[in-house]
Amino acid sequence: MISLKKVTKYYPSALGNQYIFRELSFEIPRGHNIAILGANGSGKSTLFRLIAGSEYPSSGHIRTDVSLSWPVALATGIHPQMTGRENARFIARINGVENLFAYEERILAFSELGVQFDLPVKSYSSGMRSRLAFACSIGIDFDVYLIDEVTSVGDAKFRSRAKEALMEIRKGANIIMVSHQMNELRHFCDSAIVLDRGQLTFHNDLEQGIKRYQAL
Amino acid sequence: MTSVILQKRTKWQIWQDVIFALFIREIRTGFNDKFGLSWAVINPVAFIVVLSSIRGFINGPYTHSLPTFTFMAIGVLFIQSFLRTLNSCASSIKKNKALFAFRQVQPISAVIAAALFEFLVKIFSATSILVIMYFIGLEIQISDGLSFIANFTLMILLACSLGLFFGIIEQYVSEIGKIREMVSRPMFFISASFFSLQDIPREFWPYLTWNPVLHAIELTRYALMPSYGNEGVSFYYFCAVVLGVLFLSLAVYFVYWKQAISR
Repeated sequence: MISLKKVTKYYPSALGNQYIFRELSFEIPRGHNIAILGANGSGKSTLFRLIAGSEYPSSGHIRTDVSLSWPVALATGIHPQMTGRENARFIARINGVENLFAYEERILAFSELGVQFDLPVKSYSSGMRSRLAFACSIGIDFDVYLIDEVTSVGDAKFRSRAKEALMEIRKGANIIMVSHQMNELRHFCDSAIVLDRGQLTFHNDLEQGIKRYQAL
Repeated sequence: MTSVILQKRTKWQIWQDVIFALFIREIRTGFNDKFGLSWAVINPVAFIVVLSSIRGFINGPYTHSLPTFTFMAIGVLFIQSFLRTLNSCASSIKKNKALFAFRQVQPISAVIAAALFEFLVKIFSATSILVIMYFIGLEIQISDGLSFIANFTLMILLACSLGLFFGIIEQYVSEIGKIREMVSRPMFFISASFFSLQDIPREFWPYLTWNPVLHAIELTRYALMPSYGNEGVSFYYFCAVVLGVLFLSLAVYFVYWKQAISR
């Protein structure tokens, strides 16, 4: 369960503070695979980063009692001058993975980078980068995975493998997902949070949420 | 698939792991050209050789009873350590901003990792300068080793604190970075790196002795050879400045770091 208490979040700008959330209190229930729906600029990614602890609210608190992944976007924490393996080790160290070698092997097997795994990431194509980023997060066992449109990149083969992996994960953990592709969300999620003008509404049924979102 | 086990870590262990990981990353990405680590040695050595031969040309092999090479070596090594540590600590926060997406990584860890890396590099440079001094047959004499170590460490601590302070402030006002670069450039000339305070007429001392780095350099030369003299500099003043700046920067960090990375 993730609870937001009186969260206010704004970004300073030339035209004064741009408020994303004001005094928002909300509880994200546990045990659901949640799709976050909202228009562009409604604060989906901000909400995501706040939950993950990548950013902090301007005031208020966010509490959680589950282990959360970092927000898995296309290239979080990937350094272009380091090799795929070095990047994987870096992420593993930060997250406290006990057996680095097992983790490396797991990443290598899942990302299917082959020899490229030992080459600097700057020589990778964008699809390969996101494969690496996705594999790095999938490789660690969290309670909740935060996934930001990663599954939509990569080739067809990787996408189907990513789907498989996510389905596998769903057995023991939950995912919170941001995507604009409803098919994908239907595939992985069972409930939805709709974001509109700084307010969150939880819909137990995904279809209901999608309907509400499309009516916005 | 092999299973991956996460350790249960205390906060202290997380800090250690993160700083270690960032440190490794610094080492890996710090030297990217073909010169690699050797540049960290060649650069100061070239400086020292050129400057000490100029100075040696003017006033012979001894400067205020210290060998001119040693005199220059202390000056150049110290001021370069100070400036490099200051700048890399200050820019480490901006540079590693993407990594703060991992909630375990806090800005101060990045600063500490950058400082450790610079420290490591400077140990390499200092050692190779010692080796060079040994082979060209210069006497290596340190009469007060503890004071030498204290001066160097305190100066690095000063550079880190200033770096942390600027790094945080620059997240709010990025122009401060340019001011930092502009202000730190003349430090090379006003910190007694290639002259001694004794070379300067006394009426100008008040304009120079506010600078703690000058104290560090002059005190270190004094620590090598007591006959060098320590008139006009004070270890007490130096320590007080370091303590004050450390407190200020930690206070600023404590108050502002969360918002600094949330902008």
